[in-house]
Amino acid sequence: MINAYILLTMQTGDSEKAISEMRKIENVEKISVVAGEYDIVVRVHVKSLEKLLTVTNKIQMINGVKKTTTQVIEKEISL
Amino acid sequence: MKIRRKYLFYALAFTSAIITAGVSTIDATISARYIPNPWAFGFSCFIVGIFISLIIVCIFSIPVKGRSLGSRIIDPSFKRLRLVRKEELKYHILAAVGNSILTIGYLTLLSMFGDPSTVLPFSQIAILYLILIESISEKNIPTLSEIQSSLIVTFGAILGSITLTGTITLESFAIVFLVVNPAWILFSIYQRKLKLLKIDNRPNDALNIRFWNVVFACMFTAILVGVYDLIVGTGHFIAGITASIDHFNWVALTMGITFFSYVFYIRALGIGKASVTQAVRASTVLFAIPFSLLISYFNIIPPFSTDPVMILIKIIGTTLVILGIVSFALSLVKAYVFINVKPGYPIEETMDKLWSIRGVTRVTVIAGTYDFIVKIRIRTLVKGYERIIRKLEGIEAIKKYKWESVLKEWENI
Repeated sequence: MINAYILLTMQTGDSEKAISEMRKIENVEKISVVAGEYDIVVRVHVKSLEKLLTVTNKIQMINGVKKTTTQVIEKEISL
Repeated sequence: MKIRRKYLFYALAFTSAIITAGVSTIDATISARYIPNPWAFGFSCFIVGIFISLIIVCIFSIPVKGRSLGSRIIDPSFKRLRLVRKEELKYHILAAVGNSILTIGYLTLLSMFGDPSTVLPFSQIAILYLILIESISEKNIPTLSEIQSSLIVTFGAILGSITLTGTITLESFAIVFLVVNPAWILFSIYQRKLKLLKIDNRPNDALNIRFWNVVFACMFTAILVGVYDLIVGTGHFIAGITASIDHFNWVALTMGITFFSYVFYIRALGIGKASVTQAVRASTVLFAIPFSLLISYFNIIPPFSTDPVMILIKIIGTTLVILGIVSFALSLVKAYVFINVKPGYPIEETMDKLWSIRGVTRVTVIAGTYDFIVKIRIRTLVKGYERIIRKLEGIEAIKKYKWESVLKEWENI
């Protein structure tokens, strides 16, 4: 299984609608609206890199998404 | 379905609290009418509990369109009933020890007071212990607001306990502080550790955790009651087995409903901090009042005092509990920190240094624009600077970092 963070930059004014679209995508585990260089951080859990590409494509197709940067998780420690 | 993590957490914790209040009423009825011996009642709960939990978990294991029923309606992590894994064993034993002692302590209090709305507030004092333990185990020093909130909940709970009986005995305080609450903490902490474990690359599920907890708690209660019988010369072991046969339906009812209360509680524990979950669940004190009025109306427990002073104390107590819960819930800051590191520093070493910072809940090594993504959970932004930024700046390997405060969050359930 592959976990990844997708960092999104949004166009002003479209985030609310875009978030509701993202919430419908399978494999999306978590959506965090953030304040900083990025606008949204999405965490995905997929079976393969090919599936990751599909999810990234779906996110890129959403109206209001300006740019995506994908960060594949190699190792993790969490509470 | 994705809902906001915060709403899911409160929905689970409040549902668990309402169910707990209802279950306490059934327990009070059984204790007053059928099984007055708390040792026998406790033991019978676990004996019957194994059968009931097994039936429930088996029903939820039935596959429906490729996914188990339990996964669809209770916990998405649940696949089917499975055996305990080696890595879970230690936590299951400790959680079961806690559950076993807690149950007998709670039923002893119930047999002393009769009224669940008096007994339940006592257990809320556990929040003080939780704050202390989180400080040690989760690298999280309690903030002033956490201490204030937990004290408000505690004082509210004590006032709530006094009002309906008018008196509090030293014996009941000893049971609360030395038996019930430490056992609850043991139970709560290790249930949370079990929920946070990954089994086959998936989060551990609440249904299997609850089922195996009942099994292990039954074994430990059998030992506890047996040893007590041998030392004191009582016959609680046999009484427990007899009670589980004679009053199977009543005990099955309470254990069946308790199963769902704990499953929701375990899921909430996997989302929020143990002390915050406990704080929300403290609302069970309020939910217990209508249930207590009901069984008082049917003369199962003595009628309530109508003394205006007692009623005023009760209102103050319940108001304090609510205030404590709200102040807990409203103060939490989360953030992501994106980090780039300098070449020539081992990744593992930097990862350990990041993990040792208080307030860090997740350290992720990534391949992409950044080298690390760190998730932070703190009470105030000031702590973000004092506790996080200053520590990050102290790590030599870090070249640059970006702080991204989380404003809203949704999670897949």
